[in-house]
Amino acid sequence: MATAPHDLLDAIGGVPRPATDMVVEATDVHKWFGRLHVLKGVSMAVKRQEVVVVIGASGSGKTTFIRCVNHLEKIQQGRISVNGHLIGYREVSGKLVEDREKNIARQRQEIGMVFQRFNLFPHMTALENIMEAPIQVRKTPRDEATTIGRALLERVGLAAKADVYPNQLSGGQQQRVAIARALAMKPALLLFDEPTSALDPEMIGEVLEVMKELAREGMTMIVVTHEMGFAREVADRVLMMDDGQIIEEGTPEHFFTSPTLERTKSFLSKIL
Amino acid sequence: MPRHARRDGGRPGTVLAAAVFVALVVAGCQASGYVYRWDFFFDSIFRPDSLIIRGVGLTLFIAVISQTVGVILGVFGALGKMAKATPFRIIAGFYVWFFRGTPLLVQIALVYFGLGVTGIYGWPEITPLGAFGKGAVQAGIVALGVNEGAYMSEIVRAGILSIDPGQMEAAKSLGMTFGQSMRRIILPQAARVIVPPLGNEFNNMLKTTSLLVVISVPELYVTFSYKNASGPMTFHPFELFLAAAVWYLLLTTIWGLIQARIERRLAKGTAGSVSAGPSLRERLFRGGRAPADELPAITGGR
Repeated sequence: MATAPHDLLDAIGGVPRPATDMVVEATDVHKWFGRLHVLKGVSMAVKRQEVVVVIGASGSGKTTFIRCVNHLEKIQQGRISVNGHLIGYREVSGKLVEDREKNIARQRQEIGMVFQRFNLFPHMTALENIMEAPIQVRKTPRDEATTIGRALLERVGLAAKADVYPNQLSGGQQQRVAIARALAMKPALLLFDEPTSALDPEMIGEVLEVMKELAREGMTMIVVTHEMGFAREVADRVLMMDDGQIIEEGTPEHFFTSPTLERTKSFLSKIL
Repeated sequence: MPRHARRDGGRPGTVLAAAVFVALVVAGCQASGYVYRWDFFFDSIFRPDSLIIRGVGLTLFIAVISQTVGVILGVFGALGKMAKATPFRIIAGFYVWFFRGTPLLVQIALVYFGLGVTGIYGWPEITPLGAFGKGAVQAGIVALGVNEGAYMSEIVRAGILSIDPGQMEAAKSLGMTFGQSMRRIILPQAARVIVPPLGNEFNNMLKTTSLLVVISVPELYVTFSYKNASGPMTFHPFELFLAAAVWYLLLTTIWGLIQARIERRLAKGTAGSVSAGPSLRERLFRGGRAPADELPAITGGR
């Protein structure tokens, strides 16, 4: 990597200020896929500038849960608020009904998401990928979006790749562009859905470096990952999910030294 | 198999076979008492009069406009069929069902004569356009365009469905609305998949315009049909319709070359992501060994 990631939030004008101290508040969230009960009453909260890592075996519901936080998935019971506003739903005489598409889109502007498989737009260059949403959604002037886009690329170590299409980038490079793309919207919250799981081992480090730098600079983040080294270094809290529920919660140290439940111990012994 | 699967290769062979065929026909027909006027044939091609020029122009004009109408309707038809709201799905479903399930000839007659006689729409001429503004031409464009839209709906839908759902999720997660995501992210990518079958649809369209004979649009076929029925070339159908065939071949061949160019340019672009493997086009045209069940269904054939 050419340069270490640095001053990422400086490129977007400082740490985005969430409107409230509690950035995420989820209460008793239930979700069914057909008859399959995948989330069985998940409650959690994320404070401003907090980094929360969610771990758990595949099928435990951790990915489904963070996809509910920006309403890529509907929930059937409970509520999730981001920045003090209900996500995806509005209350009509005591009942929750799905919100208008426009309102959901507006709320998602404040919630960045980084996907396991990057999902860069293949018909746009790296720079265009980053500029697309600020221009289309935030109506940022093109030259300002270009400046921010180039600054972000430079700070994730990809200044030279601005005009390159995603299929000419390595997985690690694509994921760094994807992080820059999410940051360009100046989100109050960043969601990471197993951001390193689709990467070759030698590329995991460069992506984790960017994420660590973000955490150090005060970004509010929820990270679904199996990278316990990352969790140990930057997480404020770790949540262990199993069978659609959060079964154990604590500091990274707690999980490394004295996990309470047998289920947690056996899971950690497999991934560490 | 999609119709466009076997377009490459075999050009010299095709030309040779055509030459042999023409030679046999010419030789074999000498036996009858029919007096050939090959000058009618050659004049119709190399020294076309204003009627033929107008016929060719009208065919091209109608085909281009109808195809454009078809593509636009196809995008809406596809979105309608995939919409969450049931009314849109019902309307789009009915549209595709009706226009793919009835003969184009019937649709043309219904649009021109049917709407005309009931007074729903009388197809008044647009005078400044001359032959191009005739009521029958307008009706023809509407009928062909609306019919084509039904076929394009299925092609566009297949194109949209071929795009990784992660693309829509990424667009949504950046705060883009459904409309913005479609316009900026999904449709530009789907276009790459849509272009090859679209090209074949236009090839069909160039030829299908001849069905407008039922409403007397003076396009290419009707022009030669008139010449066969009256004037100095009366009753020389062999030479005249052979000349008409050559004109159609000229149009479709030129289009074939343009289409090949467009597809080559698209292939050079940024198709696919790293792990996507060979594109649909590559699998169809270059390798040709991909099992049929691996290909996304492009159902435009009729």
